[in-house]
Amino acid sequence: MTDGALIVQSDKTLLLEVEHPRSAEARRAIAPFAELERAPEHIHTYRITPLGLWNARAAGHDAEQVVDALVTHSRYPVPHALLVDVADTMARYGRLTLTKDGDGRLVLRTTDRAVLAEVLRHKRIKPLIGERLDEDTVVVHPSERGHLKQELLKVGWPAEDEAGYVDGEAHAISLDQGGGWSLRPYQEQAVDGFWHGGSGVVVLPCGAGKTLVGAAAMAKASATTLILVTNTVSARQWKDELLRRTSLTEDEIGEYSGARKEIRPVTIATYQVLTTRRKGVYTHLDLLDARDWGLVVYDEVHLLPAPIFRMTADLQARRRLGLTATLVREDGLESDVFSLIGPKRFDAPWKDIEAQGYIAPADCVEVRVSLPDGQRMAYAVAEPEDRYRLASCSDSKLPVVEKLVARHRGEPTLVIGQYLDQLDELAQRLGADVITGETTVTERQRLYDAFRTGAISLLVVSKVANFSIDLPEASVAIQVSGTFGSRQEEAQRLGRVLRPKGDGRTAHFYTVVARDTVDADFAAHRQRFLAEQGYAYRIIDATDLD
Amino acid sequence: MPPASPAPSRSLADDIRGRSDAELTALLAARPDLARPAPSDLTALASRSSTRASTLRAVDGLDLAHIQALEAAAVAGDSVTPAELSRLLGGIDAASATRLLDDLWRLALVWRAPEGTVVTRTAKDVLGEALAGLGPSGDDLPGGDALDETTIRAAVAQAPPRARAVLDRLTWGPAVGIVAAEDAPGRRGPSDDGPRWLLTQGLVRAVAADQIALPREVAMTLREGRVHREVQLEPPTVTGPERKVDAVDAAAGAAASEVLALLDELLDAWSQTPPRVLRTGGLAVRDLKAAATRLDTAPEHTAYLVELALIADLVADDGEVDPHWVPTAEYDAWQTEPGGERWARLAQAWLSTTRAPHRVGSRTDASSVVNALGGDVQWPPIRSLRRGVLDLLAATDVGVAPLASDLAAAVRWRRPRRVPRTLESVVEAVLAEAAWLGVTGHGALSVAGRALLASGGDIAGVAESIHPHLPTPVEAVLLQADLTAIAPGPVTGSLAAFLRMVADVESRGGATVHRFSEDSIRRCLDTGWTGEDILAGLRDASSTPVPQPLEYLVRDAARRHGTVRVRGVSAVIRSEDEAGLDVMLAHRQLSALQLRKIAPTVLTSPVRPDVVLEVLREEGFSPVAESAAGTVTVPTRPARRVVRRSSVDPALVQAMDDAQITSLVAGLRASETESRARAAAAPGGRTGPPIPANDPTTSVAVLREAIADGRAVWLGYSDGVGRTQRLLFYPERLDGGRVTGTSEGVTRTLSVHRITGVVAD
Repeated sequence: MTDGALIVQSDKTLLLEVEHPRSAEARRAIAPFAELERAPEHIHTYRITPLGLWNARAAGHDAEQVVDALVTHSRYPVPHALLVDVADTMARYGRLTLTKDGDGRLVLRTTDRAVLAEVLRHKRIKPLIGERLDEDTVVVHPSERGHLKQELLKVGWPAEDEAGYVDGEAHAISLDQGGGWSLRPYQEQAVDGFWHGGSGVVVLPCGAGKTLVGAAAMAKASATTLILVTNTVSARQWKDELLRRTSLTEDEIGEYSGARKEIRPVTIATYQVLTTRRKGVYTHLDLLDARDWGLVVYDEVHLLPAPIFRMTADLQARRRLGLTATLVREDGLESDVFSLIGPKRFDAPWKDIEAQGYIAPADCVEVRVSLPDGQRMAYAVAEPEDRYRLASCSDSKLPVVEKLVARHRGEPTLVIGQYLDQLDELAQRLGADVITGETTVTERQRLYDAFRTGAISLLVVSKVANFSIDLPEASVAIQVSGTFGSRQEEAQRLGRVLRPKGDGRTAHFYTVVARDTVDADFAAHRQRFLAEQGYAYRIIDATDLD
Repeated sequence: MPPASPAPSRSLADDIRGRSDAELTALLAARPDLARPAPSDLTALASRSSTRASTLRAVDGLDLAHIQALEAAAVAGDSVTPAELSRLLGGIDAASATRLLDDLWRLALVWRAPEGTVVTRTAKDVLGEALAGLGPSGDDLPGGDALDETTIRAAVAQAPPRARAVLDRLTWGPAVGIVAAEDAPGRRGPSDDGPRWLLTQGLVRAVAADQIALPREVAMTLREGRVHREVQLEPPTVTGPERKVDAVDAAAGAAASEVLALLDELLDAWSQTPPRVLRTGGLAVRDLKAAATRLDTAPEHTAYLVELALIADLVADDGEVDPHWVPTAEYDAWQTEPGGERWARLAQAWLSTTRAPHRVGSRTDASSVVNALGGDVQWPPIRSLRRGVLDLLAATDVGVAPLASDLAAAVRWRRPRRVPRTLESVVEAVLAEAAWLGVTGHGALSVAGRALLASGGDIAGVAESIHPHLPTPVEAVLLQADLTAIAPGPVTGSLAAFLRMVADVESRGGATVHRFSEDSIRRCLDTGWTGEDILAGLRDASSTPVPQPLEYLVRDAARRHGTVRVRGVSAVIRSEDEAGLDVMLAHRQLSALQLRKIAPTVLTSPVRPDVVLEVLREEGFSPVAESAAGTVTVPTRPARRVVRRSSVDPALVQAMDDAQITSLVAGLRASETESRARAAAAPGGRTGPPIPANDPTTSVAVLREAIADGRAVWLGYSDGVGRTQRLLFYPERLDGGRVTGTSEGVTRTLSVHRITGVVAD
């Protein structure tokens, strides 16, 4: 029995004892192949998945290293079956390779004929394959490269993609590191990790500067770039950030959205416009072929809508960079992200970045309010589908929000909610402006600017503010209702207050929850993500606020 | 031939009579069935040794080398010399051939005649017709005499390719082949270069319309005089990858620790809600699945754990009217023992059981699914197979993890006639069970495993050998804000029981991850704990402070726990007259109603409403009955009536009718006539001595003696309708509870259990 920092469980989770003297070393050893699942205070949980093991293979690690890492750092003997399973799973990667043959054709080549025979028998793979060149090689049509990778992953024989990338149309881009700023070390590591791997996803906490990772990747590529973002506001912010941090000028950056349709060397497009259909056809898909893009950046890749996956399948020859704070998808499509955008290339635990001072420390509090008797009755007899709305929009939350706002008066505060009636009522009571989906872009910009400059210190926002708005000095967020139990929404909302504060003060994140209702259940589900990221949260009763 | 051997004999009986005491002792030790019951003399021993049942036992116990030697000797004809045997076995050295023959002789499967060693007739019988895949000799097949070797060689040399291919197929057996319709013997056709060509040459014989057989002498010529394609005098070697010895023991220790934890959890759950015993015995598939879900183990692993609990007497059928599988009192004792002892008991039980957990979930011959804990899991051969596999593991070097295929081959070599068809899967199942139990680690036998095999049932010694390798139990868990508790090692005793109660296990292995939820806390509160008790328990169990969210969860659950109360009542008394209800409460004559006030206007009673009404009326109150919905009900009391049962006329039952009497008399007459006829037909009209009533053992002994001496006996035999016949019987063979012989010139086979008595003529 060694005195390792790691305990290997039979369900393939790895428990890492944080206080152990060799925990950092153990963490480095397992990071390439295990996914960090939970990071609460004492023991962090990693999980070994086939995807993770193939990721490790893709990054050049072999089974021997993985087994060695487990055996070296494990406190107890590692079950033999698990080691065998790890080796078997990893051995599945690379039996099939996508390469270019002498004539420049895309081919699928195998080192194991039985595997090729097996996959060729699959109903969904057969149509993607062309002529058989010899025992080990079949031709693949370039347009099926993505689909084939996706299907091969599904049947458990992931293909190693060595077919390379087209350089795309060259376009000089460089980082403008004047003005006394430079890339943070973890951002450099993220860019290197991505560039070395060719394509893939970078996972960084909200507020940790993902846009800069994108800009640095563009500078590395120095080629025309297509950036896909969630909405127009986000598009504008990308543009501002690129203008500020790179050598790009106003004329070189185009916006392709509902309002404007510009195609320039660097084009920022929204998911929405790409997925707009007219008479059953995606009319704006031509954009993807409009230029010889050298790089495609997917912002908030965890939100990537399914149609974009299909389009991405056709873009396999171009470098792809996915950016996200949470690779948690409630729809479980993580494997599509892996096969189409690329494996995870960089991941940093939130608490690590916080320890380095790049994101603000946060104090998370759940405030429980009791429903008045009348509402409890209404809740009890309500239809199940109305219950969440009824509970989360309870009037009893209003005085609590007022108290919280009063407690942090003067600090930039966001009140975030889901239901417009509730938000309007709150705005009225608090005397604050409200931003919802109906607010015009110019009005939004005006309010954000005012908030940024400190002219106003309180904003009531709906879920339009979940993503990609940059409110540097927000330090208090009060959540009154959410999209049911979405964990990534919780993370994004916390992200609103995580940008480091000028004076290094702690951010506050409050969730107001109606006791003994589905609201509390959903809150518990959302908080799991935060607790698992190591944010110790407290639960207090509304009556304790005074 | 060794110098000890006496002069050659004329028969097996002669051979055995000529053996020394030491040789006889060796024979009885090697074939213990010959010694029970004690044979009366050496002639009896000889004849018993040549019974089919005993010979079958002896032959089944041979390893492959000796089987091959015996087969070769049987093929050789009447007798065989070591030199001949050596040639038939493909030129093995003479010393080996002599040694093999000596071994067979010691077992009395062969005897020494002047011209060489002779295989007993029964041994040949047992080996069967298709000895070593050879067909009968050409003399015994239709189509003429056997060919001589020169003719065969000449014919084979000219064989066209298709014919040659047919010969190749038949050479190493089976010697009979089915031919395609166009090649059928007797049919004419263009393809005369195949089976039909061989037929005309006499190289094969037609044995049926579409079957041909290869005569023995042709096969032997084709086999170049060898009986077996491959002679295996030595057992196959067992090899495998080498593991670090420390790692092996550590892995075995971890597995041992896990099996204990899993059984604790399983039996703890079964203490609360024991699963039902199926009507056919055994555990329902659904309950096994529930256990697998709870333990998070694979189905086979779960079946093994459940079976292990049974064979270690930790769980049993409680024998109630509605029976359940319930942990035993032994389980309570077992739980309190140190880890080493607990493991040693499990391991001993597993080593000696005749239950085969791997059969759970397979189908029986009757095609029903084998249920865990059921009777179909019994499979006696598993004990010797398991032991065989483990002995082979023990015979390898320390730290070697033998391959399952090697082990299977070695087991097969040791008892080729006794291994089941599914040997490979049985060996794999045994290895899996050994790994789960911690007898092996990383596939190699652990120190504790070796101690177990050498222990001969000594619990303490085995316990001592495993003890240093069991991980040390932890005394504290880590509580975290994500509502988990992690025990970074095995937990035992009260801490384990506490954690099982307040939290659900989320993952297992070296450590255990427990998750707290409202349900798990409520479950604990339901058993009588208070919120403060739970928090105090958590503080004691944890080396770190209790995180605020967890504390809040416990307090919140405790706050809500019991805010709604449920009680059972039988009658409710309502009245707007609060004073009147108070009078009732105070009324002494009403105390029998056990009235309780639950609201100013409501009393309850555990007594039936009609009794309450009656008693209240007697005491001068005037209550009315209410329905459950609260409306007043007026009792409608129907006048009582009884349903008349129709009377039954006494029937006249006659003791016996005429027809029955007639047939009975006829039967008696017939048997009388038959016995008179038999007496007349018996030689010299002898009726013989009176036949005593013997128990079967004595009858068998007398019969054996008579067989050995070739003498007749008088016996009583009860036939199918219960009459006892007297027979003068010449017994010839006794086996399988049946004696075969002749009576009045007719060969008969009698069941021993029907023989009422035997006396020598």
